[in-house]
Amino acid sequence: MSAIRGRRHRVIPGFGLTLGVTLLYLSLIVLIPLSATFLKASTAGWSACWHTVTEPRALASYRLSFGAAFIGAAVNAIMGLVVAWVLVRYQFPGRRIIDALVDLPFALPTAVAGITLTTVLSVHGWIGRYLEPLGITAAFSPLGVVIALIFIGLPFVVRTVQPVLQALDPELEEAAASLGAGRWQTFARVIIPELWPALLTGFALAFARAIGEYGSVVFISGNMPMRTEITPLLIITKLEQYDYAGATAIGVFMLLVSFALLLVINLLQWWSGKRHA
Amino acid sequence: MSIEIQHVTKIFGDFAALKDVSLTVPAGELVALLGPSGSGKTTLLRIIAGLEVPDQGTVLFDSQDATARSARDRRVGFVFQHYALFRHMTVFENVAFGLRVKPRHERPAAAEIATRVRELLTLVQLERLAERYPSQLSGGQRQRVALARALAVQPKILLLDEPFGALDAKVRQELRRWLRRLHDEIGITSVFVTHDQDEALEVADRVVILHEGCVEQEGSPEQVYEHPATPFVYRFLGNVNLFHGRVEGSQVHLGEFSMEAPAGMGQAATPAVAYARPHLLDIDHQPPSGRPHFQATIAHINAAGAVVKIELTTGSGAIVNVEMPHERYRHLKLRKGIHVFVSVKDMKLFTQAHSTLGGGI
Repeated sequence: MSAIRGRRHRVIPGFGLTLGVTLLYLSLIVLIPLSATFLKASTAGWSACWHTVTEPRALASYRLSFGAAFIGAAVNAIMGLVVAWVLVRYQFPGRRIIDALVDLPFALPTAVAGITLTTVLSVHGWIGRYLEPLGITAAFSPLGVVIALIFIGLPFVVRTVQPVLQALDPELEEAAASLGAGRWQTFARVIIPELWPALLTGFALAFARAIGEYGSVVFISGNMPMRTEITPLLIITKLEQYDYAGATAIGVFMLLVSFALLLVINLLQWWSGKRHA
Repeated sequence: MSIEIQHVTKIFGDFAALKDVSLTVPAGELVALLGPSGSGKTTLLRIIAGLEVPDQGTVLFDSQDATARSARDRRVGFVFQHYALFRHMTVFENVAFGLRVKPRHERPAAAEIATRVRELLTLVQLERLAERYPSQLSGGQRQRVALARALAVQPKILLLDEPFGALDAKVRQELRRWLRRLHDEIGITSVFVTHDQDEALEVADRVVILHEGCVEQEGSPEQVYEHPATPFVYRFLGNVNLFHGRVEGSQVHLGEFSMEAPAGMGQAATPAVAYARPHLLDIDHQPPSGRPHFQATIAHINAAGAVVKIELTTGSGAIVNVEMPHERYRHLKLRKGIHVFVSVKDMKLFTQAHSTLGGGI
């Protein structure tokens, strides 16, 4: 009797069942495959692993992969906010078409995106030919990698910020204005803090997606070791050389770094969300 | 600071929210804009605040044209119906916001801001909750934070949009008395919007009744309650019994009964509507002499409250509401289902649905 009374009543019960399903599902889909990579990596032995993971070519690839992903996600966070703002705040002809365009990077096969971007940005391409005289090489350079990662990450920020912006009460801005705040002050002190959790989520998603991106990058990067070689490509290269242990070692390392970064972003989110509670 | 509204018109699409509205609010007064939803009262308030731009007309503050000034430059305190508090800031930061966004040369020092905010929080009785976030407060507390925030920049005018609309009845009662006291203390020119006639009549110095974008009547609560200028005002301010009929010669025929037409009414046959407040009708077992009266059956009695509320049905099926003191109710020994005579102590007659032509009997 007391056990039943002690429990909180819920309209839809089933904590035990849903948690069980969640754990089983996550184990099957995420944890088991991932632990297999850990196991495989461990077959090579600790020192061999460490050697593979820290060789200069690998280090250069991490710098490019994480660096470009970070820059891409950061650019997306800013530009995605602008796009979401325009889509939510203004009515103009073609708004729905632009809204639909935003999702294209999701739908397009990444290889197609990569080939298209390469064509456009190469020295003879539509955009590349104007960049070349300025001394900017977009294709087959780290810049190209960043551009590809911006392309594939855009929808994440737009789609996470959009609904939050939509739900944002216009009275908040009016309140700020009537209290004497200028436009910039209203934006920085009232709107951005409201959007912050959604922006962080969008950033994290775009960042995570960009770290793992392969298809669109391999075409535009040129894949020069030490310069434009991303980590996923390095892994593929190792696989093609039948160096399975080395490939998984790098894979595991990437996994750990990504997990740590996402954890930090989640903590940031929790911290900023806690204040709204 | 006094407010003058001159010939303001505002149209949204094909809906005219305000039609040529003029209004003066003397400095230091507490004025209620009263009206049903869609009457334009909130639009008028937002135009005063600069949150909405009138299509025509001017807004003057202390006889100076403020129509073109932005909300930011008008220095008007605005309290929103749903508070519009900044969720990511504590109560303290919400109140301090208006001081912190001032241009550098006007901005008070941090210590001074803290002192001012503490004072305001004491004024609204929330000094203990300074570090809470809005989500941790009750509705009434949030409303007071919103008020303190609006007062922080020392506005010359305070505007409140349905300030108690989202609160439950008890908190509402307390807050409206508190607002009245606060106004008496700080003496700031205040305008508040409400659709609740009790609220307007209880709190305001002056009541402005709006209907379909026009000012229907303005005056002291007593004036508008005792001398409604139009049938709409009569209906809107409190419960009312309605009798439709016609004026014919010197007689008014009001369905259930007839009476002498008041002097000065037209002699031609015109449709007429008579209004009587429930407490201006009386019930008796015998037909009273000297007063217009009709027969009715008691349908329902509600004796819980300061007065006894009795609902009756007339022969033609119309419903009439009567209110009487408990002593009279006990004296008459009224019961549900009995036939009685309803007499009219006072009523107001209007000869056209919207004319101000009218007279008592």
